[in-house]
Amino acid sequence: MIDIRGLSARIGEFELRDVTFDVPTGGYGVVIGPAGSGKTTLLEAIAGIIPARAGDVRLGGRSVTRTPPDERGAGLVYQHGYLFPHLSVVGNLRYGARDEASVGELVTRLEIASLRDRDVRSLSGGERQLVSLARALARRPAVLLLDEPFSALDPRRRGRTRREIRALHREWGFTALQVTHDFTEAGLLGDVAVLLDSGKVLQYGPPEQVFRRPASPYIAEFLGAENVFAGTARVLAEAAPDWLEGEVAALAHGYHAIEFTSGPLTLYTVGSGGDGPCYAVVRSEEVVLSLAPQSTSARNLFRGRVVEVGTLGAFARVTIDVDGTPLVAAVTTRSVQEMGLREGSVVYATFKAMGVHLC
Amino acid sequence: MAIPDSEVPSRPRLRHGALTVLAALGGSLLLLFLAAPVAELIVSGGAGGLARLGRDPELRQSLMLTVMTATTATLLGVVCGTPVAYILSRSAFRGRAVLSAVLDLPLLIPHPVAGIALLLVFGRESAVGSALLTVGLRVVGSPIGIICAMLFVSAPLYISGAREAFARVDPRYEAVARTLGDDAWRSFRRVTLPLARRGMVAAAVVMWARAVSEFGAIVILTYNPKVVSILSWDRFATFGLQEALPVAAVMAILALIPLTVLRALRHDRTASVSL
Repeated sequence: MIDIRGLSARIGEFELRDVTFDVPTGGYGVVIGPAGSGKTTLLEAIAGIIPARAGDVRLGGRSVTRTPPDERGAGLVYQHGYLFPHLSVVGNLRYGARDEASVGELVTRLEIASLRDRDVRSLSGGERQLVSLARALARRPAVLLLDEPFSALDPRRRGRTRREIRALHREWGFTALQVTHDFTEAGLLGDVAVLLDSGKVLQYGPPEQVFRRPASPYIAEFLGAENVFAGTARVLAEAAPDWLEGEVAALAHGYHAIEFTSGPLTLYTVGSGGDGPCYAVVRSEEVVLSLAPQSTSARNLFRGRVVEVGTLGAFARVTIDVDGTPLVAAVTTRSVQEMGLREGSVVYATFKAMGVHLC
Repeated sequence: MAIPDSEVPSRPRLRHGALTVLAALGGSLLLLFLAAPVAELIVSGGAGGLARLGRDPELRQSLMLTVMTATTATLLGVVCGTPVAYILSRSAFRGRAVLSAVLDLPLLIPHPVAGIALLLVFGRESAVGSALLTVGLRVVGSPIGIICAMLFVSAPLYISGAREAFARVDPRYEAVARTLGDDAWRSFRRVTLPLARRGMVAAAVVMWARAVSEFGAIVILTYNPKVVSILSWDRFATFGLQEALPVAAVMAILALIPLTVLRALRHDRTASVSL
């Protein structure tokens, strides 16, 4: 288990401040944050490379805040590998390895047998990352700290390695904490997502919750939500409006129906907050486009005009103008072709009440 | 109307060409000024000096003494200076700037002044000197005095070079070694030291060469027994240029050895970087 309580650490002018989160034993945590947010510093503080100024670092139920790095049982893999240049690949793999069998297994599973006798200075960035991963794992650490360990791998190798690390994680039972910029990776790997910015944890929890229920408009925008509206919420007196559809059960848990107004837009949702100014977040994947109004009870239905169609492979981002407010929908390129969408097309955008998150 | 190329003013090109010629001329003159005396010395006295080694026991002993004392001073500098260099390169602590300034001081003061300062500390009248004498260690007028003088004037060069060598080793290599189970000393020995080795050896070679060529501080502290630099001065003052020439040439050849080692080290480093 990685249990961080009120951790503060300083390196140069940068400071981690009051960082608190936990990753359960055998769990896989991901740290997400913009460049310079302190992600690497956080890993180094957990590993004991940077001393804590305040707070507590507990690994495997033991406080290690004042324990030297070599006695913490935590492996650290940097983005650039930091393979020892005076040693061969196999020399690096054996450095700190628990036994030769672990080295052999990792060489096979990470498919680096062909690199064994190479000079580390001749390796590519991706190969360095693989060897670095194997070197850290060969020690069989209880906690593995990974700083963008797949960033230099090509997409095919990246997917394979990610699956293999996840498999090793399940089999060997270590607790992992990985820094990533890739939200897909965070969703695929993480049991816990920690969002870090300017040395502080903005939000942490299951990735689904962090992505779907961002705690602030900044988090929402950082996590790629393109529809963030500033406006005013008003709690509706009506107990269970018809547009709640199958979400009536939510009302039993202290939630209530809310009307949110932002300029010409009026959105309907459920939430636990009261009346007053706030932000509404609608992820573009929640927005459904159609050429005619859909026969659905969803209250959030808008007519708009397409102002931009951006395609990227199989997916497309369609921006529509709803009474002067841009609304972005993520749809498949095939849908765009089938509907014949282009600039000026008139479309209807629909999304469910539960697809609107207030923060 | 377009101006034909031949009519474009060529003054900037001319000025550039003249500057290049001037720079080349200045550089060549400086190189000649630096190399000619040493070359002349070795050409004029080198063969004679090497031949003299066979039949001049004083020169032989002086050469041996120089090599032994310079090597001892260098070893002491490496053993005691390496931790200082490492701490200076890695740790930010109060007083680091003062420590750095203290270490640079011997490089800035005239070497006879350094000799006088050492005499004040290690002379027979001083507390340290008399205490050492009571345990049988005489500094002034002994090889120990030569080692002290050499160490004083050349150790800062080693510390400075080793500090640079450590600074070039990214601390994250050590961090990785620590997470792979090494304690601080073991990670230093297994990772930092091998990675900084070339720079440290180069710094030690520079220190040794500086120690070999020291005169000012040694002449104050230990005139006898004579190291080669003192012997060449002694022969010049007593017998004139012709007698001093072979000794001076041997000294110059001795100084060329570390220069060659340094060049070989640099070549090795360039080769490894290009991999």
